[in-house]
Amino acid sequence: MLFAVAVFAPLLGSIVAGLFGKAIGDRAAQAVTILCMILASICGVSAFVSLVYGGAPAGTVSLGTWLDAGTFHASWALRYDALSAVMVAMVTCVATLIHIYSVGYMSHDSTVWRFFSYLSLFSFAMLMLVTADNLLQLFFGWEGVGLASYLLIGYWYDRPSACAAAIKAFVVNRIGDLGFAVGIALVFVTFGSIDFSTIFAAVGQHQSDTYSVFGTWRAYEVIGILLFIGAMGKSAQLGLHVWLPDAMEGPTPVSALIHAATMVTAGVFLMARFSPVLDYAPGALAFVTFIGGSTALFAATVGCVQNDIKRVIAYSTCSQLGYMFVAAGVGAYQASIFHLLTHAFFKALLFLGAGSVIHAMSDEQDMRKMGGIWKKIPLTYAVMWIGSLALGGVFPFAGYYSKDAILEAAWASETAIGQYGFWCGLLAAGLTAFYSWRLLILTFHGKPRADHHTMEHVHESPAVMTVPLLLLAAGAVVTGFVFHEQLLGEHWQAFWGNSIQIAPTNHVLHAMEEVPGWVALSPSVIGLFGIAVAYLLYMAMPQVPAQLAATFGGVYRFLLNKWYFDELYDAVIVRPYFALSRALWQVGDATIIDGIPNGLATLTTDSTAQVVKIQNGSIAVYAFSMLIGLVFLVSIFLLFR
Amino acid sequence: MTWTAMNWTLAVPELVLACCGMGILVFGVLSKRETFQLCSMLTIGAFLLTGVLVLPGAYGVGYSGLFTSDAFSAFVKLLVLVAAALCVVVSLDYNEHVNLRRFEFPVLMLFCTVGMMLMASASNLMTMYVGTELMSLAIYVLAAFARDELRSAEAGLKYFVLGALASGLMLYGISLVYGFSGSMAFDKLAEALADPASASPGLVVGIVFIVAGLAFKVSAVPFHMWTPDVYEGAPTSITAFLGTAPKVAPMALLVRAMATPFGQLLVQWQQLIVLVSIASMLLGSLAAIGQRNIKRLMAYSSIGHMGYVLIGLAAGSVDGIRGVLIYLVTYVFMNVGTFACILAMRRRGKMLEGISDLAGLGRTDPAMALAFAVFMFGMAGIPPLSGFWGKYFIFSAAVQQGMWTLAVIGVLTSVVGAYYYINIVKVMYFDAPEEAFDPRPASLSFVAAVGGLFTTFFFVFPAPVVAAAEAAAKVLFR
Amino acid sequence: MLAVGLGHYLTVAALLLVLGIFGIFLNRKNVIVILMSIELILLAVNINLVAFSAVHGDLAGQVLAMFVLTVAAAEAAIGLAIVVIYFRNRGSIQVEDVNLMKG
Repeated sequence: MLFAVAVFAPLLGSIVAGLFGKAIGDRAAQAVTILCMILASICGVSAFVSLVYGGAPAGTVSLGTWLDAGTFHASWALRYDALSAVMVAMVTCVATLIHIYSVGYMSHDSTVWRFFSYLSLFSFAMLMLVTADNLLQLFFGWEGVGLASYLLIGYWYDRPSACAAAIKAFVVNRIGDLGFAVGIALVFVTFGSIDFSTIFAAVGQHQSDTYSVFGTWRAYEVIGILLFIGAMGKSAQLGLHVWLPDAMEGPTPVSALIHAATMVTAGVFLMARFSPVLDYAPGALAFVTFIGGSTALFAATVGCVQNDIKRVIAYSTCSQLGYMFVAAGVGAYQASIFHLLTHAFFKALLFLGAGSVIHAMSDEQDMRKMGGIWKKIPLTYAVMWIGSLALGGVFPFAGYYSKDAILEAAWASETAIGQYGFWCGLLAAGLTAFYSWRLLILTFHGKPRADHHTMEHVHESPAVMTVPLLLLAAGAVVTGFVFHEQLLGEHWQAFWGNSIQIAPTNHVLHAMEEVPGWVALSPSVIGLFGIAVAYLLYMAMPQVPAQLAATFGGVYRFLLNKWYFDELYDAVIVRPYFALSRALWQVGDATIIDGIPNGLATLTTDSTAQVVKIQNGSIAVYAFSMLIGLVFLVSIFLLFR
Repeated sequence: MTWTAMNWTLAVPELVLACCGMGILVFGVLSKRETFQLCSMLTIGAFLLTGVLVLPGAYGVGYSGLFTSDAFSAFVKLLVLVAAALCVVVSLDYNEHVNLRRFEFPVLMLFCTVGMMLMASASNLMTMYVGTELMSLAIYVLAAFARDELRSAEAGLKYFVLGALASGLMLYGISLVYGFSGSMAFDKLAEALADPASASPGLVVGIVFIVAGLAFKVSAVPFHMWTPDVYEGAPTSITAFLGTAPKVAPMALLVRAMATPFGQLLVQWQQLIVLVSIASMLLGSLAAIGQRNIKRLMAYSSIGHMGYVLIGLAAGSVDGIRGVLIYLVTYVFMNVGTFACILAMRRRGKMLEGISDLAGLGRTDPAMALAFAVFMFGMAGIPPLSGFWGKYFIFSAAVQQGMWTLAVIGVLTSVVGAYYYINIVKVMYFDAPEEAFDPRPASLSFVAAVGGLFTTFFFVFPAPVVAAAEAAAKVLFR
Repeated sequence: MLAVGLGHYLTVAALLLVLGIFGIFLNRKNVIVILMSIELILLAVNINLVAFSAVHGDLAGQVLAMFVLTVAAAEAAIGLAIVVIYFRNRGSIQVEDVNLMKG
């Protein structure tokens, strides 16, 4: 019951704010949505606590039958197990803090009620996604998240760049969703059901099922890859990552919500949810690890040269998601969810902190125009340090535990692809530390590079913004330390119950305890090295980076332009597509296609005229047509009897 | 025959409704003052009461086989009652406004509803005739209710003449069926027709005549000619009514008649229904395109919708009938909501009927434009609105029976149909705004909201409707 | 002596039916004629019903004939009322004048 309240309270808030927001005013809309979110987070946390520590039985909260057509059954039900509960608790808490923060951040906006309604809708869709009891419901939440993200990224719809970013996010996600939808269909074909409990119970029976399309493939591998393609879209993995940095066009709290609590974590969640099936699909898992590791490294390199403060953090999200997929790919689903959890706190913290900086700097986002403000906004400065320490994986902050766990698991998997994941992750860890401190130093230290006018206005944010920051900072400090042993320790099954099931051959969790000492130590060492380099380059010798950029111009531009992914897509997909479209439009459309619809349209209008001509208002004609019809039908009937 | 064998308790809802009707009639006649509003309220109350009486579902056969109460009849009756009640609500303000505030109006609708409930329960050709006539006679009067208006009088006259002709044809068909099979009871007919080969030509002609009579009531091509004129001429509140309940009941009767007594002749009458269905879909989608009057457009749209419904009947399976019922439910709510919007089209006290009068509604009245757009998208069958699900169940039933042609034609015509529905949306949102409409009365907003919410959120919980429709459909195939 | 059998009744009824139907759409004059044609159709049906009822020895046909008579009376009343309304508005009951609405 608590669980259902946690899921539906945000929906209630969203509906009230959305429908009556104009009537009841911004204040009331904020109050309603925030109260609903607080209620949801209280219920969410208590549902989590009573499940994991209180010994409440896991199960499903049934809400009713959705559709019951032939052999296809789908119902509205909430799945109540450790995985859902931990996600619900995390999503509701982080989203609540972001709601509260937005009160301050969005105070100058003209349609605040609309913003809060969307925010709550976003949270609801995500909650629906993580509590889904069957794939169709999950898909419903999945698409709901997509819709809400579209609305929020394009929230300032009068800015062309925001609209473009919203459309980009939507389109890229559609590509992933196609894979996901096909995956759902294949699951239904294979298992005859889309209910999680039915599917997972039948995992053993269908191991040797195959599909024969372009060769013969094992069913589980195909399903795993298709579901992962869906996850790639939502979680911005290499190839389908292009929407994430552009999503910065939305207001900063939205970025925080997208990057921390909702949306991008959906893909990781999907992998964990499908662990019972994926564990029998080594090929798909190898693919997951490969993409995850590559993304982690790729995004980290790009993050090192970006100048927009939000973009740096955006690429860092991309990179951290890569870590999570590496963990999922080597079978350490627990570690991936653990990192998801810690990441949610420190990434929300970093984004909201960045928002606070932007707020202080009169909406300036370029780090080259910041600097020297750390004394003026000490609180923001402090929380940004905490966030960076957590992100960089410094002991004893949250990121240290989860990132180490992932790298150890990758090493311990003892496969070639696991090694690839490990080395990518290790390199990325160094780069992460580097760009985090580059961000800190450029933003807060050195000489002020902003104009005089801006510098005068630099001020600490109001309490409504700083209190959420402090709470998140607390989370970023303690979550790793508190949950490390429970989630990944010897007794992980006591925590997770049946929500994560692994194959009997999967010993990663055990093996990662016994990795060589240097493996456990190396992330910290390389992290410190990254910090040192950042300090040297930007604090001690601030003129060197420019020289380096000039010397290695090619590399610099390559990174600055994000490995030319957008250009590549533009050249390989968008341009040819446009060219093809134009050709089709000019040749095919103008002559053939237009000819057909125009012809059809003329035919239609002509036949309309004909049809209507009989309708001349005369009773006699009407009666006569009835008689003709009758005679016609009688003859048909008699002839074909 | 003993008194208990009559099983008259099965007909309690109809009896209560008829008694209420007479009571309201007497009250209206005796009352010195104008009692339109009060009688309307009483009528709505009577509908609600009857609905409550229908719900418990006392099933059985009464009046020595003349009257059947089963899941199918209960489903149809509830739908008819809901539709009629919503139509009375819709007429409250309109009739005040156009000077039709006479208490006979709700009373006639009430008796019409009694007739429709009787049709839903008919299990004998005699009940079928009496129910149909009770419904039709009330509608003849209602169509001509605006007695000082030429268009309304002409609508009444046309509907009366053609309706009487249709009833005559149906009656002639009944007499032939009776003569060549020796019975009027549906179960006896089913027994007599157990061997399709033995059906004599006279009987076959009779069946076609009956189909023609009922096809007239549901305005299926080629018996549809009255529809646009009557829709246009009748007072708009009556047009709203015409498009809902009086389509549901004859369709239900047609379904029951085809499935129960003539079920063995499926292969034969299937041809007819397929032809009628295709013709209706084509005409409904084509003829509506050139229309400028929204009531006329709705007339053609209803012809098209009946064509889709007939696909379900033509499939002749449980799934098909289930689709018919689901489609009718979604259709009723969309239609009544659309007419609530049409009735709100009033500028400086003058009622408007032109599609161009809707120009710019998206800016002058966003809420109404949104509701209107929902109905139009729903009627066009755009997912996830309810209209899509109606079509989905119908088409999938047709495909299951291997009637690909029918399903394909259905999909194609709904594409053509989508053109004129979406054209209305275009006019509302993209054309230069005209002056705003007069403020909407609360009753119309209520009905539009009910219809809009149902249409939008049907997909969230379709299960109760689908399950009830399935139970109802199974009754016919025992 | 020619025996009058079922066939004769049916023929008469069919003729009346056809007369009635033709009366509706061949008549260009007067709406009243249409009302009369409708009565003809119903009479044709009644002849059918009673004849079949007699042949089958089953009363149902005659019962329905009674219903038809009653309904016919109501129908005639309503029809005449509508014609009266129409005449008041239009000043004519010529059939070809009834075409205000079309298309």
